[in-house]
Formats: sequence, structure tokens, C-alpha cells
Amino acid sequence: MTDFFVGEALIGEEPEVAHIDLIVGKKNSSVGIAFANSIAQPRTGHTPILGVIRPNLPAKPSTLIVPKVTIRNLEDAEKIFGPAQSAVAKAVADAVEEGIIPKERAEEFVVIVSVFIHPRGKDYQRIYRYNYAATKLALRRAMENFPSIDKVLEEKDKAIHGMIGFRINNLKKPPYLEVALDIPDWRRVEGIIRALPRSDAIIIEAGTPLIKRYGVEVVQKIHQLRPESVVIADLKTLDTGNLEARIAGDATADVIGFSGLAPIKTMEKFIEECKKIGDLSLMDTLNVPNPVEILKKLKIKPDIIELHRAIDVENEEYAWGNIQEIRELCGNVLIAVAGGIRVNNVEAALKAGADILVVGRAITAAKDVTGAARAFLQKMGVEEVDQFRVMTDF
Amino acid sequence: MVVLSEREAEEESVFHKKLKIKLKEKGKQGRITLLKDYLDYLLRSDKTLPPDFPTFAREIMGLDERGGFVHIKIWHEKSELVEFTKVMGYEYKIDHYD
Repeated sequence: MTDFFVGEALIGEEPEVAHIDLIVGKKNSSVGIAFANSIAQPRTGHTPILGVIRPNLPAKPSTLIVPKVTIRNLEDAEKIFGPAQSAVAKAVADAVEEGIIPKERAEEFVVIVSVFIHPRGKDYQRIYRYNYAATKLALRRAMENFPSIDKVLEEKDKAIHGMIGFRINNLKKPPYLEVALDIPDWRRVEGIIRALPRSDAIIIEAGTPLIKRYGVEVVQKIHQLRPESVVIADLKTLDTGNLEARIAGDATADVIGFSGLAPIKTMEKFIEECKKIGDLSLMDTLNVPNPVEILKKLKIKPDIIELHRAIDVENEEYAWGNIQEIRELCGNVLIAVAGGIRVNNVEAALKAGADILVVGRAITAAKDVTGAARAFLQKMGVEEVDQFRVMTDF
Repeated sequence: MVVLSEREAEEESVFHKKLKIKLKEKGKQGRITLLKDYLDYLLRSDKTLPPDFPTFAREIMGLDERGGFVHIKIWHEKSELVEFTKVMGYEYKIDHYD
């Protein structure tokens, strides 16, 4: 049997929202030791207390409540000692009655519950109900080992944390539409961003002219308008790779672009810095005669390679180079194609192996920006609104 | 005060428009007050300063005043400037740009 079980649940609305973390295990396990140590060594503002349904009626299994937020005054203390303490204890007892915790384990187990109560939470009804529900849910999850690792891997790139309202999109589900904002006029750029459809498939590129005019801080302002969107800082870095990558990362860029014309050492330092700060690196191959040769020289490969259109004079078709060869060389890499992408050649670009279509003025200079972007998304076969998916399975 | 046609209200157009803001005082002082209020609004609502703020300040100080209004080019009816005028109680209109 596992040494202990771990459960978590968040229930309710601010400011009384309840967030419960708990562990359940045997008295003679590490949980029992933690239980005894914790009750014997109270800390200022985080005094552990036994969960009691009412004074003189403690829950079984024995339950220790640990306040997450520092208790600063009597008002804070009353919320813990009153509604939260009672709610947690009742939830534990009900969990036994409902078979979530086996009744025969009631004397054998102990529970440690970490309780969050916002200092602004005032409504005792809500505090009680939310903490009761969250504790019971966390117990059920703990005893069922929820979530399974498969669930975590499935959900990790889809989930939005309720308290921050956005998530880090690692671009795992291509194709994507990268809207390149090269217009160095902030008010116009703001208008374009507000008009773009809300879609996980849209990436916003802070183009080089925009960054040159306003500085890389423009990325942060874009994120303020669209917190859920991936924002690329197209720096086209040629020197001081790690420094420039760090500057863009600090300005909240998700993807940072360097030039494939930079010295190999600069590119490697740039890519390493991006990995260090959790960003994706993008190599722009504009004017690079043979991107494959450059990629072969790199000890560490970029996450995204952006290829620019070459026009085959004979058949006047668009070509973006040997995407297959790049994939074989770089493995798990995203290929972006730029230059001359229009609705009528979207399918050709995707067929050629592109993961990201970079579109500038076909959208940003369109009479109807919303409609133009939707036309691309439709042609790409992308669902428009994925990010507002309602979580109904847990 | 917002003047929008039904068609405009329904569309998410980014065609540039004219945001007409009535200054609370005439002349230079009215413009300085507007800029102070804008900064106040941005800081109090924890908004990052717009990257064009220096340019915007210069623009406001140099705009013609037409019947107490300054005319500012915007690209969306839900721009931050429109929100600012609403929140800070400025009288305003939105017109198509000529």
C-alpha cells in the first residue's frame, strides 16, 4: 500500500474560495510523524489545530488543519477556528460515512489538511460550504489517486489555472496561424489585436519594426491585451544571444527569434538561454542560403525554424525548402513558413509540412481583420474557440 | 456620450476612427489634465503603460481643439483610450475618420 495519499481541490468564488491540499496516511507512516511533529511545534500565524465538528467532537480519522495564510489577528483566527475547522472535520467524517475513507481505517489513518482562507473572505456560509466541499473532493481524489499520470499528460497543455486566467501554450498542437504585427503604430496594432478572433491557434508576433520603435516591452502590453496568446518577440538577434533572449523573456515573450545569419556561438547561447527561461527559440532563415548546413553546425537546435518563401520561376509555385530534411536533422521541431502566405496557398503550405503559417498584411491590412483571420483558420481546419472549453470531467 | 450606428456597434472593425474627447479645461491645462488622468487611470488599474505613451503625450499637446474636443485616431471601439474616457468620466464621441 502507498505510504500516503495526496489530494487537492479548489471550490467556490472569491474571496471565500476554498483551496485544500491534504495528505492521508497511517499513524505509523510519514504522515503520522508529520502530524505529531506539526501539532507539537506550532509556528506563529500557522498554528495547526485539530478538526472538530463541534467543540469536544473531533473528526475521525484524526485531522490536523494547517492554515496556509498567516493568521494576523483575531478576525482571521475566527474564520479558521469557526467555519473552516468545522467544515473540514464534517467533510472527513462524511467521507468515512460515504465510504471514501474505509471505516475500518478511521483509527489507523490521520489526515493533514492545509486550508486557504483569504483575509478578505467574510461570509461564514460560503467559507463553511466551500471548505466542506473542497475537503471532501480532495479526500476522494486522494483515495482514488486522482489524477492519473495519463490524465496529467493529457491535460497539462490545455489547462488554464483559474487564478491566473491564462496558460503557457507550448505549441504542441499545430497548425498555428502566426499574425505578424510589423506595423510600427501601437494604436493600430492594439486595434488589430482586439479584432483577432480568440483562438488557441493564433500566435501573435511582435514584429521587428514594432519592437524597434517601442522596445521589447511592447510584448508585455500585447500580453495584457491577450493573456492567453503565445507572443513571439521577433528580435532577429545577430549578437549577444543570451542577453537579448533574457531581455525578451523578462518582457514575457513566449517565443524569441534570432537570425540564422548570426555566429554559431551566438545562436547556441540564444537557444540555451531560451531553454533556461522556459521559452521557445525561433531561428529566422531570412537570407540564409542553406539553413540545413547551419542547423548541422548547431550543437543545440532551435524549437522553431522559420523558412521564407522562395519562388520557383519555372512553375511559379511557392516553395519553402526541404522541410523533411530539417525534421530528420532536428527531430521534434516546429516549422514556420513565411512570405506570401494567402488563403489560397494555405493547403499547399500545410501539405509541404508547415506547422506555423506566418501571415502579415493579408490579415493586418485587411479591411476586415476578424474575417481575414477567420478565413485562414477555416482553411487550416482549426477550431476557433478551444481555450474557453469548459472542464466538465472533474 | 457614445454615438455609434447599429452597424458599427455590431462590427469588430479596425478601420481607424475618430475618438473625440472633450477636455475638462480649455487650452494647455486641459491637455495636461487629460494626460494626468490617463496616467492615473493606467496606474490605478495596474495596466502597463502603452508603448506609444511618449508619442501620445506629444500628440495630445499638439492637437487642434475643436469646440472643446480633441480628435484622436483610434482603430477599435474597445481601445484602452475609449475605456479610459468612460472610466474617467470624459464626454466623448466616436466617429469614422475622414
